[in-house]
Amino acid sequence: MSTIDPNSSAPESPEEAASSGTLIASIALKQRAGGIAVPAVTVVVAFLMGGLVVLATGHNPLLAYRDIFDGAGLNWIFHPTTNLVNTAAYNLSQTLLQTTTLILCGLAVAFAFRCGMFNIGGQGQYFVGLFVANWLGVDFAGLNPFLHVLLCIVAGTLAGALWAGIAGFLKATVGAHEVISTIMLNWIAIWVGSWLFGAGGPLQSSANKSLPVSNDIANSAKLPVIWGQQELQGLSIGIFVALAALVVFWVLLNRTTLGYEVRAVGFNPEAAAYGGINVKKNLIRAMAISGAFAGLAGTIDMTGYLYHYGQSDIPFSSVGFLGIAVALLGRNTAVGTGLGALLFGALLFGTTHGLTSNVIQPELAGNLTYIIQGLVVLFIGADVLILYVWNTRKKLRPRRARA
Amino acid sequence: MNDEIVLEMRGIRKEFPGVLANDDVSLDVRRGEVHALLGENGAGKSTLMNILYGLYKPDAGEVLLRGRPSSFASARDAINAGIGMVHQHFMLIPVMTVAENIVLGIEPHHGLFLDEHGAEQRVRELSERFGLAVDPGALVSEITVGQEQRVEILKALYRNADILVLDEPTAVLTPQEAHELFGIINSLKTDGKSIIFISHKLNEVLEIADRITVLRRGKVIETVDAAGATEASLARAMVGREVLLRVEKAPAQPGDVLLSVEDLRVVDDRGIEKVRGVSFEVRAGEIVGVAGVDGNGQSELIDAIAGLRKTESGSVSIGGRKVTAASAREMLDAGLGHIPEDRQRRGLVLEFSIAENIELHDYARAPVARWGWLFPKKMIALARRLIREFDVRGGGPLTRAGGLSGGNQQKVVAAREIARDPKVLIAAQPTRGLDVGAIEYLHRRLVEERDKGRALLLISLELDEILSLADRILVVYEGEIVGEHTGEVSEEQIGLEMLGGKEKAAA
Amino acid sequence: MTAWVERLENPLSARLRDPATTGYAGVLLGVLAAFLAIPPIQSRTITWPIVVGIVGVAFGIWTVTRGRTRLGWGAVASAVIGIGLGILATHSGTSNLNAVFDAALIAQTFGFATPLVFGAIGGMFSERSGVVNIGLEGMMLMGAFWGVYGADKGGSWVVGILVGMAVGAAIALVYAFFAIHLRADQIVGGTAVNFLALGITGYFFFQLYHGNYIPSGVSQIPNVKIPGISGSHFLGPAIGDLNLMIWAGFALVVVSYLVVFKTPIGLRIRACGEHPRAADTVGINVYAVRYGCVVLSGILAALGGVYLSDGFGGGTFINNMTDGRGFIALAALIFGNWRPAGAFAAALLFGFSSAVALRLQVYSPSASTLFNVLPYVLTLIAVAGVIGRTVPPAADGRPYKKQ
Repeated sequence: MSTIDPNSSAPESPEEAASSGTLIASIALKQRAGGIAVPAVTVVVAFLMGGLVVLATGHNPLLAYRDIFDGAGLNWIFHPTTNLVNTAAYNLSQTLLQTTTLILCGLAVAFAFRCGMFNIGGQGQYFVGLFVANWLGVDFAGLNPFLHVLLCIVAGTLAGALWAGIAGFLKATVGAHEVISTIMLNWIAIWVGSWLFGAGGPLQSSANKSLPVSNDIANSAKLPVIWGQQELQGLSIGIFVALAALVVFWVLLNRTTLGYEVRAVGFNPEAAAYGGINVKKNLIRAMAISGAFAGLAGTIDMTGYLYHYGQSDIPFSSVGFLGIAVALLGRNTAVGTGLGALLFGALLFGTTHGLTSNVIQPELAGNLTYIIQGLVVLFIGADVLILYVWNTRKKLRPRRARA
Repeated sequence: MNDEIVLEMRGIRKEFPGVLANDDVSLDVRRGEVHALLGENGAGKSTLMNILYGLYKPDAGEVLLRGRPSSFASARDAINAGIGMVHQHFMLIPVMTVAENIVLGIEPHHGLFLDEHGAEQRVRELSERFGLAVDPGALVSEITVGQEQRVEILKALYRNADILVLDEPTAVLTPQEAHELFGIINSLKTDGKSIIFISHKLNEVLEIADRITVLRRGKVIETVDAAGATEASLARAMVGREVLLRVEKAPAQPGDVLLSVEDLRVVDDRGIEKVRGVSFEVRAGEIVGVAGVDGNGQSELIDAIAGLRKTESGSVSIGGRKVTAASAREMLDAGLGHIPEDRQRRGLVLEFSIAENIELHDYARAPVARWGWLFPKKMIALARRLIREFDVRGGGPLTRAGGLSGGNQQKVVAAREIARDPKVLIAAQPTRGLDVGAIEYLHRRLVEERDKGRALLLISLELDEILSLADRILVVYEGEIVGEHTGEVSEEQIGLEMLGGKEKAAA
Repeated sequence: MTAWVERLENPLSARLRDPATTGYAGVLLGVLAAFLAIPPIQSRTITWPIVVGIVGVAFGIWTVTRGRTRLGWGAVASAVIGIGLGILATHSGTSNLNAVFDAALIAQTFGFATPLVFGAIGGMFSERSGVVNIGLEGMMLMGAFWGVYGADKGGSWVVGILVGMAVGAAIALVYAFFAIHLRADQIVGGTAVNFLALGITGYFFFQLYHGNYIPSGVSQIPNVKIPGISGSHFLGPAIGDLNLMIWAGFALVVVSYLVVFKTPIGLRIRACGEHPRAADTVGINVYAVRYGCVVLSGILAALGGVYLSDGFGGGTFINNMTDGRGFIALAALIFGNWRPAGAFAAALLFGFSSAVALRLQVYSPSASTLFNVLPYVLTLIAVAGVIGRTVPPAADGRPYKKQ
């Protein structure tokens, strides 16, 4: 028997002692204390600091942000129209396309967090789903469209689940930290993808042997488009799938026994085990479901608007990582993830392809997104600071205490 | 021991949110004296010592060291002033050697490099001088608990501590080791060191201390010479009333055997056999109490019966059905209820609501769930009923469990277990950390459940609780049952057996 | 691992009978199987690699049955991989093999390995003091850009190194503040560092070098020509003309070993990482030690980045130049069990893998991918606990709170 516990300490505040130490528990603690105000403040501060960088390098931040706003198509709300010749409308449709992906990638990270695990592997799981969708989309041409789409979606989702499941399995059996395994799996997926689409690779285009790009998927595998046209990268029904996924996420966590188990394990694995819950099974399950969301994202993208993929596209995809910011900002809830995905979707498109600006170039604006993303994640991880500031302000002003 | 006062703490006051830990506490310690600080859990002993050691700052009052006012901003200051503390939870680094642990922070060195040989040499000298046998080159992870404590003491002596504070030092020792410790304390005394001995054990304090200061709820009740005190007088001072040793209960009417344990052997996380061939039975309508010093295998025993730990050999039967090597879920299904010893770590998911916690075992069953689908309304209704029945205060079905007081949290756990109508109910340390009101409620409730025909197995480190509640008492020592008593039995007898039986316990 | 060390004190016969011996022997046999097929031995028949590999498998199985399951399976894995690589090698032409496996490969291995060495040793300091550092990638990237910027604007590679060190220290300081003072989740914080670094370097790369390339002629870190050896047939191309930073890396390994395991400050660092409260109670300033180690890790990782751009890279920078090397460095640290010698060996192994991958690109993209993926696969196997247990410092990753 050892009485040595390196992590024991004299009593902390009762609240901290009560939150049993997991990351999700501390996020829940801060969520209760701060509500929606804290994420909002985090975003504002991040944008402010981003704006300072812009200012310091000689551009006008207000104008830059306005141009990004326009680039994302958010100015569409001022003059709504369904006509896609209108730039704002087109930009909005593209932003929603990104939002679709980010909702799913965000849900992937959020679901794992709810079970007390950090899934950094969303990017790899996204790719795996994307590769599988491409392969099946190309190879089964001529299949009934409904079946073909279904096949791609199911297979891609399962592929993502499997990829994440490896990390879950390693954690459950040998206790390998899922952060490390998912990081490794990310890079394995990236390199494998590079090979798949590279010269001579198995998925490389049969038509043009010199380009490291895949074939287009068959028309029967493409998702129906609801706003715009397939040739012009219109918005597919993927957006509905993503919104449905938000609902599924919430229902799964709050109305099923699976969700109950996942949440219990996430908050307090010891008590969960004592309650008869199989902790290992749930770790694997949670990671698999998490990976399924990300794999679905990759599938939806491939069948929804990408239709093909190239070796050179791989390094530029960052949706899996943006999903981390989305989930953290949204406090791992369904509604929060949805809103966070919209914010980052707008940022992602608005700073790159949608941007027409004299004030700031897309290359700069695109990197600005990374900076803002980094700041958001940094501050989320340190809510203590924001909470502290917030609470001090509350103490200074005589106000009725919140219930 | 002479009359020179080496340490004085005057009028110390320390408040934490919601609790006044030290209320105008004054204490003085003489050179070469063993001064005991006696009090129950939460009396303020640890807080006072943490203030002395620089880990907390007092709100009011002062500390005088050898007549001069001192204030310590950190442990380092206290160490430099000659105060050494041996904590209840050892501050040792398992992957490092004994010598490295001792010299950490004031390492001997040749220029830039560690002088490992010199360190071991000095440690050896010290340990010989004070009779603290320990191997300087051994890894801390591989020495016994008693040896770990000696390393802690050596740490203090290495830093020339004059005043040693020992916080509940015998809590983790075997009786032999405790005996050796007392020998060491005496030899430190003759060397002119002063010892502050924190404890809640009456017999020890009477054996080793010269003077005793009793704390209760943050206040000093009295400071007496050990020579004139008795266990009864100290107990009265500690608790403030005549200690109620018995709860009202009718004699037991034992029925069928509901829990049967045969030749059980269980191993702990370090591979050491902690339960060494234990056999006993618990019948319907009786409370069997398991008494013993912490660390004699009780935790492993309960874990094995509850399905949370593997049994190496032997069997467990509930209601006649063999359930050995079953999982926790299977045990629960077989009719076992278990109030775990650490409600915050194992009993409750603090982030869950009361309703969700109540369903921790049965969340997947009707009426609360079907085919994997949850029905929250049913959960809430069930919770509401139990909250009323068990008089849980501090919130409703949707209140977060972490927001309740300790007593109410324990009521939620008890409610959950009892509501499942178990055949066998295990209660491990059920009243740890609770206030008197909650303790009385739980004791009454446990007796009620006994009278309904359940078989109760009570494990507790508080001998009072066992004597008060149990119909039959089993005494556990080093993984074996060394005594079984029904009916009236004296504390001394049980205490003797808890300490190993053959040795004469401290008078 | 300690038990194994203890066994070293036992008589030889006891050591030989110990299953761990056969286990490690099995691992080495796997390596040997592959080695036989490549130059200089270049066995042309498949027999020898297979024979050696089979013996390795046998040793592995023997080890498994004697109770050391993980080590045993590791030996089996190593032997199987060795046979596979051997087969691959014997199937390719000798001229190809000679082109790929020549003496210059050794120099290239060192070149690839050095950023990893700096990153891994930096990570070791941070983690030994108890702070997980996932942000090595970001710190390395910052060093890569600002280092070459400093060399360009400052006119000398020395300025580049100093600037790189300063920048690495700065971003590490920010991370340290969030992780130590605000007790934010360290993995979240490290992820944020990576995003920030990506954004900042990308942004300023475009802002300061408008055309997106750095002009040639920037002062580069010089090579060290060893007189007398450079003419030699084998040693010349192998080690006769290595970059200064490579030699610095070797020195770093030795120095860091001495510091961490042979000096008082090293003892204190390790104490902070194993049991911070114990360290605190003997008067060690845990915060200060952790701050120092995290900042040091930033400096070292950044130095690895400076070498990447201003030494190995020939004085240029491209967006996201590190491309995952920071993560490989982390992998090397884990694979090496948080010890300098182990991390160094792992870095060499991974560097070798990357070097071979680069050379194979021309001949066989699939084999090239295999070698690119190998470091990640090996680390996955390592964290699965196959080769002994990877044991991080006990309090690694947990924020410390002083009363």
